[in-house]
Amino acid sequence: MTQPVVKMEDVTKIYEGKVIHRALNQLDFDVQEGEFVAIMGPSGSGKTTLLNLLMATDIPTYGKIVIGGVEPEKLSQNQIALFRRRQIGFVFQEINLLQMLTVEENLVLPLTLDGLPVEEMKKRVEDMAQKLNLGDILERRPDELSGGQAQRTAIGRALIHQPSIVLADEPTGNLDSKSAKDVLELLEHINQHEKTSIIMVTHDPIAASYCDRVLFIKDGEFFNEIYKDERRQTFFQRILNVLSLLGGNVNDFSTVRLP
Amino acid sequence: MTFRQFAYRNVLRNRRVYAAFFMASVFSVMVFFLYSMLLFHPSIENTFLKEISTLGMGIAEIILFIFTLFFLFYSMRAFLQARSKEFGVLLLLGMAKRQLHRLIFIETMLLGFASIISGIFLGFMFSKFFFMIVKAIVQIPVLPLYLSWKPFVLTMGAFLSLFAIISYIAPVFIQQGQVSDLLNGDMAVQSVYSYSKSRGIFGVVLLLLAYAMAAFVSRSSIISLFFLLPPLLTVGTYYFFTDTLPLVLHALRRQKKIFWRDFWMISISESIVRLKENARMFFIVTIVSTIAFMSVGILASLTSFASQYREVNPLGLIYKSLPHNDYEYQHIAKLTNELDQQGLDYWAVRFRVLEQQSSYTKNKVNIVKLSDLNELAATFGEKPLSLQSGHALFLPATAAAANQLSTESVNTELADSSVSLEIEGVYPYKLFPPNALGLNTIVVNHLDFDRIEEQAGVDALAFNYYAFNVRDWQETREIGLSIHAQVLAGLMLEHRDPVRYEFENPGLNYSHIRMTFSLLLFIGLLLAGVFFLASGSFIYFRLYTSLSYDRRQYAVLQRIGMTDREFTKIVNRQLIPQFFFPWGVSFIHSVFAFMSLQVIWDALAEISIVKELALVLAGFALMQIFYFYLIRWRYISHIKAPTS
Repeated sequence: MTQPVVKMEDVTKIYEGKVIHRALNQLDFDVQEGEFVAIMGPSGSGKTTLLNLLMATDIPTYGKIVIGGVEPEKLSQNQIALFRRRQIGFVFQEINLLQMLTVEENLVLPLTLDGLPVEEMKKRVEDMAQKLNLGDILERRPDELSGGQAQRTAIGRALIHQPSIVLADEPTGNLDSKSAKDVLELLEHINQHEKTSIIMVTHDPIAASYCDRVLFIKDGEFFNEIYKDERRQTFFQRILNVLSLLGGNVNDFSTVRLP
Repeated sequence: MTFRQFAYRNVLRNRRVYAAFFMASVFSVMVFFLYSMLLFHPSIENTFLKEISTLGMGIAEIILFIFTLFFLFYSMRAFLQARSKEFGVLLLLGMAKRQLHRLIFIETMLLGFASIISGIFLGFMFSKFFFMIVKAIVQIPVLPLYLSWKPFVLTMGAFLSLFAIISYIAPVFIQQGQVSDLLNGDMAVQSVYSYSKSRGIFGVVLLLLAYAMAAFVSRSSIISLFFLLPPLLTVGTYYFFTDTLPLVLHALRRQKKIFWRDFWMISISESIVRLKENARMFFIVTIVSTIAFMSVGILASLTSFASQYREVNPLGLIYKSLPHNDYEYQHIAKLTNELDQQGLDYWAVRFRVLEQQSSYTKNKVNIVKLSDLNELAATFGEKPLSLQSGHALFLPATAAAANQLSTESVNTELADSSVSLEIEGVYPYKLFPPNALGLNTIVVNHLDFDRIEEQAGVDALAFNYYAFNVRDWQETREIGLSIHAQVLAGLMLEHRDPVRYEFENPGLNYSHIRMTFSLLLFIGLLLAGVFFLASGSFIYFRLYTSLSYDRRQYAVLQRIGMTDREFTKIVNRQLIPQFFFPWGVSFIHSVFAFMSLQVIWDALAEISIVKELALVLAGFALMQIFYFYLIRWRYISHIKAPTS
């Protein structure tokens, strides 16, 4: 077995405020190197909290998180920024390309911050453009792209600095089914050929069926996990089964009702 | 909750948005109020300051009013655009357009009321301090705080009407169109920026041309340039911001060695966007600052002009007595008495000036005695001159006349006394103010003088001229005030009782001139202060309108892994050009404008305005830097605040 890229040990996150809210409760899992993991759960199950912890924008109340052999909790603000810049790639649901930069510039952005030589940056952009099929649109601006093209660019930006892990937050949430399929196949391809570890948070069982493993959480606690099998169709069916066990629709709002 | 309560809470809870706007309005109300306090001051009513204060303050108030109107228009528009999402929600909930307009009207009026009240309150608090400064400048013995309804009513009336106009018109600025457009208001796509290469080059060429003309201006061409330069600069500046700068930045963008380094990529591309959005505002700020620099600089140079007053007026006091003046001896006694009482050192010389007609030119000629001149010259430390009988010197009326007369030589016979004279040469020392002893004056020795007087009789006496050389000439303000008053009173009643004497007190005049200019300078500085505060606020509003977009961008950058320090650097690189670029351009404009103005000053009097100008510019630079830090601090803390 290979070394785990992400290691979570009994992670608990409690938000203190007027109402104390336990967002994560003793969550415990590993992600192996080169693994493609989906995290599913109904709204309010703590997915966003989990992502924030992995991104090191938040720290756990109890427990330990190790990413790529580093404990972000122990880093200074500055080191955390550098850690994100070098270790983590991030793909958002709302894509979030910088509007004033072209596709090429968006791709190269994380590298410029690290002051790589221009030649090296050009080479990497070329590689990436070829892999992601972005060659024709390098000079375009984000508002001239289709949703799929924009998300492919964002994935390129997340990968260009060769991070040890890519975090994806509903990467297909805003896309039509065709673009979503493209993006998922791209992620799968990258995962298989580049051995990049990916953690994807999603509501969509189809998206989850592209992964090696699906982790279900409910109300901040581990609920279940299932591994992929030979055919995606059956894997998809099994995911749906677990979701129905989770109770109700995954898209349910968790409302607070008073009598 | 009533409708009015809703509006009230809107303002109160949006106070962060309104802070800069409120501050700038309060400041302009305050300055307006201070001006009107001085305008209606009872102690000023009866002094010479009356005219300056009504004129200067009046103009300053009008400028302030117009500028504030303009400023409020602009910021109101920025606000309403920033809040378009909120308005979209209100319309979605079923608010009628008319109600929305009423909401905005009430909100603006509330804000207006608040800023008028606080502005007047602050103004009244500071008016004592303000009076102290004015007192120090004007050197009036007392300028007490007073309570009168006039300044209050003027300020209230002016600004209430101003806010009423704004609140009535403001709703027009809300984006017209569908509710969904409003809801997405802040998502409005950053337009693809267009610029024209030819216009960009045209802009630079215009500016360079104007600069070159200003730098190499000559005395003969200055007048035509006076009309040519301002439009050239204005058009050039406009194209500079709309086309030239984008041209340069896009060129820079293509240089990957520069562009793909550190945070330059974000900074430069962000500047391009900001520039596109704000080119017009930068243009306006540049022009306004240039005007502010220019007016302050001109006023400052007028002040330095006043300091050279002494060279033009070497004498301390002057009393001129025409024949049949009953008061002559009484007045002279009074003057010497007052001088003695004040303990001032002085020398007094009495000139008897005769008047004859020249047979050569048929013009009247004034004649003075050389020994009198020698006596006065001695008090200035000059050596006495001698002159032979039958010879005479020109006593030039002005410096220019001295040059002209130095080569002239005239043989003439004086008509009434039939004394013939050969007039050649010029009296070399400058002892009198211009035109003191008449336009056409000659000097003869005492023998000739006596002869003329004897033969022409008593009627030959034109006037007696008493020249006082006072060493501490600035201290003579209090001397001869009663005579001065009599002269003024006499001028008004001339037809009944012609005044047979004239009195001049250069010390008093000087203090008047100096006070006038210093007061105008002070007024101008305050006005320029308002301009600067307002142009800083413009920038702040623009930042605020794009805040939600910027915030999202910050979140992206943070996730990509940008440190706080790098982020601060990016903000610096975005804010510094916005703050200092228009200002820098206006600075360069003013420098060249002053280069051409210097030519005018050189022609009028040899004055260098460099020192005053450097002082003014340094002052404004300090203010601007302070304001920059203030706004950067606010901006960064807004950006980092979690999205609500």
